[in-house]
Amino acid sequence: MIIQLHRIEVISHKDMQMIDITPQVERLVELSGAAEGIVFVMTAHTTSGIVVTEGVECLERDIPAHLERLAPKDPPEGTYGYYHNRLLDFDGRLGYNAADHLKSVIGGINTFFPIEAGKVVRGGRQRVYFVEYDGPLARTVFVQIIGQKSKDAA
Amino acid sequence: MIGGIDFHTHPVLVREMVDRHPELALAARDVFHCGNNFQPLEVMLLEMDIAAIDKAVVLPIDATTSRNATVYTNEQIVEVCQMSDRLIGFASVDPHRESAPELLTYAIEKLGLRGLKLAPAMQEFFPDDPKAYPVYACAQKLGIPILFHAGLSWEPGSRLKYGHPLRFEDVAADFPALKIVLAHLAWPWVVDAVALALKYPNVYLDTSALYFDNPRDFLRYAMNQQVPLTVFERSLRNQIVFGSNNPRIEIKSMAKAVRTLGFSEECLELIFRVNATTLLGGRL
Repeated sequence: MIIQLHRIEVISHKDMQMIDITPQVERLVELSGAAEGIVFVMTAHTTSGIVVTEGVECLERDIPAHLERLAPKDPPEGTYGYYHNRLLDFDGRLGYNAADHLKSVIGGINTFFPIEAGKVVRGGRQRVYFVEYDGPLARTVFVQIIGQKSKDAA
Repeated sequence: MIGGIDFHTHPVLVREMVDRHPELALAARDVFHCGNNFQPLEVMLLEMDIAAIDKAVVLPIDATTSRNATVYTNEQIVEVCQMSDRLIGFASVDPHRESAPELLTYAIEKLGLRGLKLAPAMQEFFPDDPKAYPVYACAQKLGIPILFHAGLSWEPGSRLKYGHPLRFEDVAADFPALKIVLAHLAWPWVVDAVALALKYPNVYLDTSALYFDNPRDFLRYAMNQQVPLTVFERSLRNQIVFGSNNPRIEIKSMAKAVRTLGFSEECLELIFRVNATTLLGGRL
């Protein structure tokens, strides 16, 4: 049985950004020695996400833009506000990222893929993205691999 | 707009410095009271890029007497500034110590720091306490500005009474050649702080005020309702500097809020660059 937990550091460069981490995930699976199994990917942060979608630049723009429309950082004036915009005494700062938390909830924080013959099994157009909603920041992504060396191994 | 200056940042979350000086982690958590994750300096520089900020003033606080701690020593400020030429280091000294003027002189003349940061609420002294006057005289002689924390302070144990703008009037009056910056618009006493700046041309205000709601709505309240924006635009255009108070708030967020308040482009240039350059003696 192979059980491994890896941590990938991702540094976002923009306020909102989709970062393709498929190569890192696939590399970790290949190095793990797991022939059959499953790989879980999860962000460690509540203002970021993990999204699986087609790896094209247009969607890398459309997805954050749509989430911003659903949960705008600054709601339209005179409409509504966020309770999170208050002093967070445990952080010593004002919570100005309610919308980023909401985007994370809407977009999701994790995904998983099967492992077959030592490779990540994914659809031909599927890519794994770390999605930044409150960058730039240095972020951590957990990659948990659970598998076995071959179908016959215990 | 390009090439702005953030006159008010605290490098308390810089991961490389915490790795080298573990006591800075305690200073960040227990003294400065900031609970966010430590981040590589690169992240701060990236954020400055997004906000169109070229350079940032990085501030220490010497709270030796009141807290038995420093939130960065002057030497550590020099060290972090050596990591990027986009950082401008200020010094801090403890006004309770008789040696404070000598330590300030050393920090400016030998370490190359560019100004003085004092935080009366955390350091527990009244700005008009004669005990601090030798420090002010020294700063005036050195030709450096003093950035004072003013108004409400987030840190537990810090008293508001040390931050009222009227406690700075004697300093402004008695040291007319000394440029002093009241941080955070001295909120909630914005009217008093503005009155001081109107009366004393050596009093500046920085924009690093955010105590509820969001940067846009808070600054509109403080800089358009508490005091009309026209007062800042017309009367105090040469005495306002942009400050974010990072990492208590992101530089990008405060810069966007200030830029959308309704100032003229000419005034924004003064706020984001010219006035800070003046405070720093005309060079960056």
